[in-house]
Amino acid sequence: MLTFIVRRVLWTVLVMFVITVITFIIFFKTPGVDPARAIAGRNSNPQVLAEIRAQFGLNRPLFVQYALMMKSLFISRNLVSYSNQGLLVVPEIGAAAPATLSLVFGAAVLWVILAIAMGLAAALLRGTVLDPLLMIIALIGFSTPPFWAGTVANLISQSSLHNTFLFSWVPPLGYTSFAQSPTLWFKGLVIPWITLSFLYIGFYARVLRANLLEIQNEDFVRTARAKGLRERRVLLRHVLRNSMITFVSLFGLDFGALVAGGALLTEVVFGIHGIGFLTYQAFTNLDLPTIMATVVFGAFFIVLANAVVDVAYAWLDPRVRPT
Amino acid sequence: MKLVRSATHQARRMRRRPLLYAGAAVTAMAMALAGCGTSGSSPSASNSAKPKSGGTFTILANSAFGVADPAQNYTLEEWQLLINTHDGLTQFARVAGVPGTKIVPDLATSIPTATNGGKTYVFHIRRGIKFSNGQTLTPSAFVTTFERQFTVPGPTAFYSDIVGASACSTKGCNLSKGVVANDSNYTLTINLTAPDAELMDQLALPFAYAVPPNTSLKLTGNNVPPGTGPYMWKSYNPNTEAVLVRNPYFHVWSAQAQPAGYPNEIIEKYGLQVSNEVTEVENGEANEVFDGDQIPSDQLTQLNSAKYAGQVHVNTLTADWYMALNTKQPPFNNLKARQAINYAANRSAYVKIAGGPSLAVPACQILPPNFPSYKPYCPFTTGSQTVWSGPNLAKAKQLVKESGTAGQHVIVDGTNDQVGTALVQQMISDLDSIGYKASPQLLSASIQYPYVQNSTNSTKWNVGWSAWYQDYPAPADFLNVLLGCGSIHPNSDASPNIAAFCDPSIQAQITKAESEEATDPSAAAALWTQIDHEDTLQAPWVDLYNPKQIDFLSKNVHGYKWNPQWYILIDQLWLS
Amino acid sequence: MATLLEQVEPDAGLQPAIVGRNPWALAGRRLRRNRIALAALGLFLLIVLMSVLAPVYAHQIAHENPFAPNLNGTTIVNGKVVPVMQQGTGGLHLGETPIGPTLDPHHYALGADDLGRDVAALLLYGGRSSLQIGIASAVICCVVATIVALIAGFFGGVVDAVLSRIMDIIWAFPVYLLAISIATELLTHSNGIPVGPFRVGAASLWVPTFIIAFIYVPYVYRPIRGQVLSVVNKEFVEAAIAQGASNLRLMFSEILPNVVSTVIVLLPLMIATNILTESALSFLGIGVQPPNVSWGTIISDGEDLLYTRPWVSLAPGIMIVLTVLALNVLGDGVRDALDPRAKLRVEG
Repeated sequence: MLTFIVRRVLWTVLVMFVITVITFIIFFKTPGVDPARAIAGRNSNPQVLAEIRAQFGLNRPLFVQYALMMKSLFISRNLVSYSNQGLLVVPEIGAAAPATLSLVFGAAVLWVILAIAMGLAAALLRGTVLDPLLMIIALIGFSTPPFWAGTVANLISQSSLHNTFLFSWVPPLGYTSFAQSPTLWFKGLVIPWITLSFLYIGFYARVLRANLLEIQNEDFVRTARAKGLRERRVLLRHVLRNSMITFVSLFGLDFGALVAGGALLTEVVFGIHGIGFLTYQAFTNLDLPTIMATVVFGAFFIVLANAVVDVAYAWLDPRVRPT
Repeated sequence: MKLVRSATHQARRMRRRPLLYAGAAVTAMAMALAGCGTSGSSPSASNSAKPKSGGTFTILANSAFGVADPAQNYTLEEWQLLINTHDGLTQFARVAGVPGTKIVPDLATSIPTATNGGKTYVFHIRRGIKFSNGQTLTPSAFVTTFERQFTVPGPTAFYSDIVGASACSTKGCNLSKGVVANDSNYTLTINLTAPDAELMDQLALPFAYAVPPNTSLKLTGNNVPPGTGPYMWKSYNPNTEAVLVRNPYFHVWSAQAQPAGYPNEIIEKYGLQVSNEVTEVENGEANEVFDGDQIPSDQLTQLNSAKYAGQVHVNTLTADWYMALNTKQPPFNNLKARQAINYAANRSAYVKIAGGPSLAVPACQILPPNFPSYKPYCPFTTGSQTVWSGPNLAKAKQLVKESGTAGQHVIVDGTNDQVGTALVQQMISDLDSIGYKASPQLLSASIQYPYVQNSTNSTKWNVGWSAWYQDYPAPADFLNVLLGCGSIHPNSDASPNIAAFCDPSIQAQITKAESEEATDPSAAAALWTQIDHEDTLQAPWVDLYNPKQIDFLSKNVHGYKWNPQWYILIDQLWLS
Repeated sequence: MATLLEQVEPDAGLQPAIVGRNPWALAGRRLRRNRIALAALGLFLLIVLMSVLAPVYAHQIAHENPFAPNLNGTTIVNGKVVPVMQQGTGGLHLGETPIGPTLDPHHYALGADDLGRDVAALLLYGGRSSLQIGIASAVICCVVATIVALIAGFFGGVVDAVLSRIMDIIWAFPVYLLAISIATELLTHSNGIPVGPFRVGAASLWVPTFIIAFIYVPYVYRPIRGQVLSVVNKEFVEAAIAQGASNLRLMFSEILPNVVSTVIVLLPLMIATNILTESALSFLGIGVQPPNVSWGTIISDGEDLLYTRPWVSLAPGIMIVLTVLALNVLGDGVRDALDPRAKLRVEG
């Protein structure tokens, strides 16, 4: 186990290094990009731009600039945004992380529970009309574009039906930290949780159902049945665990990606200022420091999530050994 | 002032004002403004209640305005707040309508007349005024203020004719000869290298508002230095909000220049989509949708409802939305080709993209309505020569034939948000209808504006979208800044003459008009009108429309005043 | 849930010899008998056909150029001439609203979009782009991911570690920055950029196709690799090794068939995901570029009209749902047909 952890930590560092280098290169290869212009405030004359370049080392070779940026990101932690010289990037990430984590954790709990329930139900009810019905609902869920779902949710809960008893409890859009007000934190996240999980439930339910039906016919299941175990026990103890491989793999990926800023459209639509929101601002303004910081933050969580998933494999299917 | 749109989907407009002003001398012809603006407010219930102080006024804006240091910030968004927290030597009268373009003294006791051939102004500074940190205002505060203009990266052109300014840079600035402060008899002398009839206007811009003498000469980032206005900055984070609270040291010395404000606190919150901003104001959960945010179609329809009577105000802006024609590349290096597309452009379609006739007025000429020296002129239509009534496709096609440019490829550059994409697609349709082969080039907003200005990209586009809002009411602000030969800076991201249009005979007239400003203002005004019409006929642009602006306020907001320079006067609003 | 065993016929001794059949033919026959799957296939082919016939609809039936803005145009509804864009009524007359669905194929059957264009015609053209991008990128993604997953799961050890970390890097990629960068690069080179023998222009659909295929490889890779890991130690693999099978044969003949069902489940789901990702990219202006349209661009164009003209966004949304539904059901049918243990499966 220890070697596993050590190995993964080393790999994490390597992944972060590679991804930041790639990001750096892509940024500077984009035509029309000029950090000096962003720092100097638009339409400064060429003389001022030249001074800025000298002052910020923007004339130096790319690998030197990269090293300097990594240093200010990790070591001195005083990396400053290009599009706003008064903004320190690292504290912004720190302030945004709880919002994203709250959003993603809550949605994840919801979608995992509902997806398992739905997938089980569909597999159990195979042959009846409820199976295809559930699957259609599932498909509608994940065929919906996320920003569209969010906009419709807002239309209903903030605008059309806001004054009815159904939605009058919905606070204005935005994230309130748990420390500030637990009730407001919760109330403000309910609709975003439902919207975000709505998009994933269907996918996962479908995947689970397919695997459940497949595993049905494995030898060990027949053995369990032959032993005279009740169907429900067979299902939950034996079949479900082995059907979760795909489910868990995808979950690790999606969770990692969402924390890394993948929920950006949901965050933008609901006014939640999380990592996704910062990512959105960053690539809209082509602000390299913020892009770098979000990418590093994201890479860390993605590698972490995948490592946890790899460990989970061993528990789910003892035939698999984590590498 | 250039309007740059952020690439955010819903809030498509973020005001930034990058201006490279090439030092003209034109008096602010405030009193010469003709007519009244076509503004409208939805019919409201009687508003006869008495104003009362108190409450928190909340503004919702899609995005923040960048760095808050007033020496760098060139956005209307921050300027609307800075006029409440800081003061300058002069100010635009803080009243509604046309009288709001008049220059009044603010921290100066009176507007001085120039001496020394128009190159020296002596201001008497008011006594007994304190900054929000308790420091007393002295004339030497202005030395720091002007020096910061050059040591902090940002636009410098407004004040570049101060003696000593040419030697200034971000490394250091010594204006001791140009800005002479006498703290014992409270006078401030400004010495210029050449007469500048627009100086009083320029001193009324937030760049020149007083900050304490010991303010750092470096960028103060998001910490705004203390000011003398009725409010002070408590905090600003571009990802969350800005908070303004009352300045305990403020007292009213001139109600025309800086009246007391009504709300106790002003908060501006960032990051919501515009559609959600409108919903919150509809629900009364906030008080104003930032007027620079573009309200989308659905919400515009909602605002027509009688439910919001009295809460919606529309005002004409002195601004142009246009497509610059690249005069250095075929086909638009040919005058007939440029005129052809002007005849073909279906301006009413562009107006529809802007939200309909209540939100935009078709434009043909350079100067906008209600602007000094504006006289209606539209040669590019059927029939009348003053008002656009429809495209003239026959004439357009004939001109294309005469120019010999038919069938050429034309690249139309614009921003990739919804309105930008729509405008570009309509232009492509107009170009295709007269025989060109047009294709789009939709770029991120943060890239597009510098891209079309930079001459190294000149071979890559033929038609480029842009927009310009006045800095202050002076014809040179449009005619010389955007179409003057001196505004072409090769290989620079800052070359506001996007069309790269330079006509020596017109330029000579511009020079003449500028020099006549001080001596014979009415002749200068007439000359500017002529220049406007000549520029229009040379067709360096396809001017599309003059936009109007919507102010949407919540039900409990009263006292709405619209000033042509600063637009909505926030601290003059009161809450019931 | 009942697992029925097919009745096993008692040996009557005088039965004629049972003819062995090609497993693919058996699979095909099972598929043909699955009526629901056939219906799904029919629906999918119908959608494809509609998209292919887009120009026919546009020119023959609706009589217009669906790509040109038509803001000042008029159309005929119930015999009356009506403007396509109507100014807001009441109050200050703010805004311009496009015409709503008329259900008349000759005149804006599904209404107009914010540029006055016929949504029905655009919907069909959009299908071409979305189907091409969605399906091509999903296929590329699944093929590449499966191959890499087979290699990683089979060889294990360092190979697995390196490949998995490469996948982590891809998954952590700043996709939007990449898309902006590529889009800007292409847009500022008016003749496109040479890639090998081809010239890739900004409007090329292959750009979003490859970007989307690229970023989702890890998403398919991981589950497949998981499956491979659980199969690789099974007895029949050992048996094949004992028989002297080469690595290649082991990977593709022994292991692959056992993970292919996961691929088949994922493929239509990935098509849906990819169409939606393209829609998100188009929403941000970095997906399909004009003059091309896709279901995604129509949805994002309709975003501002959700309340007044919901059909602009709903119509492409419904098309996406139908396409995804058809492909999923078809996928189920294919999987059922291919499963060698179909004898033990529930019929129908």
